[in-house]
Amino acid sequence: MTLEQFRQLAGTWGGNIDRWPAAMQDAAREMAADEQAAGILDEQLRLDRLFSLAPKVDEGRAGRAGFAVLQRMAAADRKLPWYRRGLRPSSLFPATSLVCSALVGLWLAGSLPYRQGPPDAVAVVSMVFDSSTLSLGGLQ
Amino acid sequence: MAAVSARQHHAFRILMGRHMPRAIRVAQRIVRDPGEADDIGQEAFLRVWSRAASFDPEIARFTTWLYRIVLNLAFDRTPRRQHSPIDEAADVRSDDPEPVERVIADEERRILEWAMADLPERQRAAIALFHMEGLSGEDAAHAMGLGAKAFESLLGRARAALKQNVQKIQDTGRCA
Repeated sequence: MTLEQFRQLAGTWGGNIDRWPAAMQDAAREMAADEQAAGILDEQLRLDRLFSLAPKVDEGRAGRAGFAVLQRMAAADRKLPWYRRGLRPSSLFPATSLVCSALVGLWLAGSLPYRQGPPDAVAVVSMVFDSSTLSLGGLQ
Repeated sequence: MAAVSARQHHAFRILMGRHMPRAIRVAQRIVRDPGEADDIGQEAFLRVWSRAASFDPEIARFTTWLYRIVLNLAFDRTPRRQHSPIDEAADVRSDDPEPVERVIADEERRILEWAMADLPERQRAAIALFHMEGLSGEDAAHAMGLGAKAFESLLGRARAALKQNVQKIQDTGRCA
């Protein structure tokens, strides 16, 4: 690598050889031992530091922008026609729950035995006594 | 990102909290106007939300994808704002005490803003990605949709022009 090539690469990639293309790095490190080459790197490093200064974006500003995004998403959702809103997973949840409850009710109604006529007196008495042994705190 | 693709708002909020400053920073470097940069940041995340299903982690990292969205939005807007006054790009002043280092850094930042103003938008983008965001040459080229050689050439021209502009500003004291 000649000094001119080194100068050109430093002018493109800056003063940090680690950020140069991998194929050039070994030759560049050897060259950097030269005083003139080291001077070129120093100059480019000063520019690198300047070029890397970023505009200030504090948390509040980014947070406000994020909040605005959520507002715009909500506004876009409100503009959707009812049938498209209804097809979203969040909208389907209550409807699905209702349908499931109805199906469980129907299944229970169909599978439990249906008793016709009044139960006999002994069964009623035993049911009352059994249920009185239960309370909110558990078995008495 | 997988959770965002599955339309999970919570995951999207976390993703936005983590990457919004990055999007605004890069946009501001290119369009130079903080208000417009905020708009681009918002628009970029709306696109992330609406196109999350098309993101493929095997093709690109999320940040590279986000940079590409931001750059496209910023390039679409820059012609209208090519010569906006530099004062608009000034930072919001805070009430904190200003040590000497900070004053110097603010002054350097102002010099850079001025020097960047004359650069074409793609050169500004190359400087922003490689120097400000610290991307490798390969990643920056990918984010800009360029080949390695094309990016190298763009970055070289950008640095040379920027160096010249900085020198001119320092010699004439134009932005002091």
